[in-house]
Amino acid sequence: MNQEPHRQHHIDMLPGDIAPTVLVPGDPGRVALFAEQMDEAHKVAQKREYLTYTGKKDGVAVSCTSSGIGPSPTAIGTEELIRIGAKNIIRMGTCGAIQPFMKAGDIIIVTAAVRGERATEEFISIDYPAIASHYIVRAGIEACKRLKLTYHVGMVRTHDAFYLESPWAFGDYKARLQKWVDLGVLAVENEAATMFVVASMQGVRAGAILLSSDPIFGGSENDPDLDLHKQNLVRVSIETAKILHEMGLD
Amino acid sequence: MEKQHHIQLLPGDVGETVFLPGDVSRAKVIADHFDSAELVASNRQYNTYTGMYKGVKVSVTSTGIGGAAAAIAIEELVKVGAKNLIRIGTGGMFQTWLPVPGILVITGAVSGDGLTREYFPQGYPAVADLDIVESMLASARELGIEVHEGYEWSHDSFYAGSVFSNLDILEIEKPWIDAGVLIASQEASTVLTLATARKVRGGVILASAGCHQHPEITATEEQMVKAISDATKISLETALKLHRLDHGE
Repeated sequence: MNQEPHRQHHIDMLPGDIAPTVLVPGDPGRVALFAEQMDEAHKVAQKREYLTYTGKKDGVAVSCTSSGIGPSPTAIGTEELIRIGAKNIIRMGTCGAIQPFMKAGDIIIVTAAVRGERATEEFISIDYPAIASHYIVRAGIEACKRLKLTYHVGMVRTHDAFYLESPWAFGDYKARLQKWVDLGVLAVENEAATMFVVASMQGVRAGAILLSSDPIFGGSENDPDLDLHKQNLVRVSIETAKILHEMGLD
Repeated sequence: MEKQHHIQLLPGDVGETVFLPGDVSRAKVIADHFDSAELVASNRQYNTYTGMYKGVKVSVTSTGIGGAAAAIAIEELVKVGAKNLIRIGTGGMFQTWLPVPGILVITGAVSGDGLTREYFPQGYPAVADLDIVESMLASARELGIEVHEGYEWSHDSFYAGSVFSNLDILEIEKPWIDAGVLIASQEASTVLTLATARKVRGGVILASAGCHQHPEITATEEQMVKAISDATKISLETALKLHRLDHGE
């Protein structure tokens, strides 16, 4: 096999194009929010749903690569980011909070994810756990404290079919979600477990910082302050990258 | 409240932190590390000692072997007031770079056991409590004890997944070895998932006498006594740290 570094098929990047810590939103549009909040940032690559900016904030190098929606492109993006040297891969996304005490705008620091998706089953048995690096969990908690944001720490459910378990889903989606509410799962989303399994199998740290954008049992399903809350999500994720740097983990 | 069916304990009989060895005789070995300890109950394989360590009430309950028996102990201990459940056990290591003997702080588990499958949906993660993992790593550093952190493969049949098996265990275990899982044992998945579901802290520390790839290299009995003692010391300091987190100094 040719061991020369080559441009990765999908993310279209080479080693050196990214910082050790990469923030991964699902939405390519959110990469612009990242770039705005950095002291400086430049576009490194754009192909399919994978858009990457790399830059600096308070002297710390951080990158942001969008993954697109769902486990399939997340598995590809995570794998290729690892192959070009990513050390900390952190999903920076939105989710549907399902616990009644959770409000729109709350931040979720994810400790682990239920593997309700199938992408990772091609890599390893469903018995293998999807767990976030505890170093990233701690850095995320510390970042929320510094920025004085309301946050929750716990487990999410990752699954494939958005239109089965969201406020816009057909039929009685609340009944379908009740099982996960009872198990103490904080939110449902489509990418975290995939990222955790692909990264942890290769000894790379992964984590997820999520915004409760449409709490399903907690009142408003349309957040009037969504733009501000998305900015908070990006802010706390960049702060997490800085804390990982302070911990000597990048 | 009546005494719990199996562990034969009432509220007040245990401290907030309870250590969970599999081996019945190891309950006493662990209790001997407390400043004081007395046997508060003994029924079937469940022996419980409660005492004090540096001013904090702590307990140890032996569970016997396997997820089924550990789950019974956990459900009943939570009912009598346990808040932090820490398994102190042994296992067989998977990674040739680990030292023999080795002490491992478990951060998560592969749920290859039947208990977890019956209690929880497929894909539900067995993850160790953050406070316990951090307290164990910090305590090991303070005590100058080398530890490694990672996942356990939790499974049910010792004679299908140990160096004493007649099967080709390296073939059976290959997916876990390739994924970087550190060690085979039986109870971590049960302890971690059940603790999470009951909203208490769960953690696991393991001592290992050897590695599945090199059955000819084993720790001496003396080395293992020290490794289990070191794991117990780390766990006791962890109990103090958890007490400080919950109650201040």
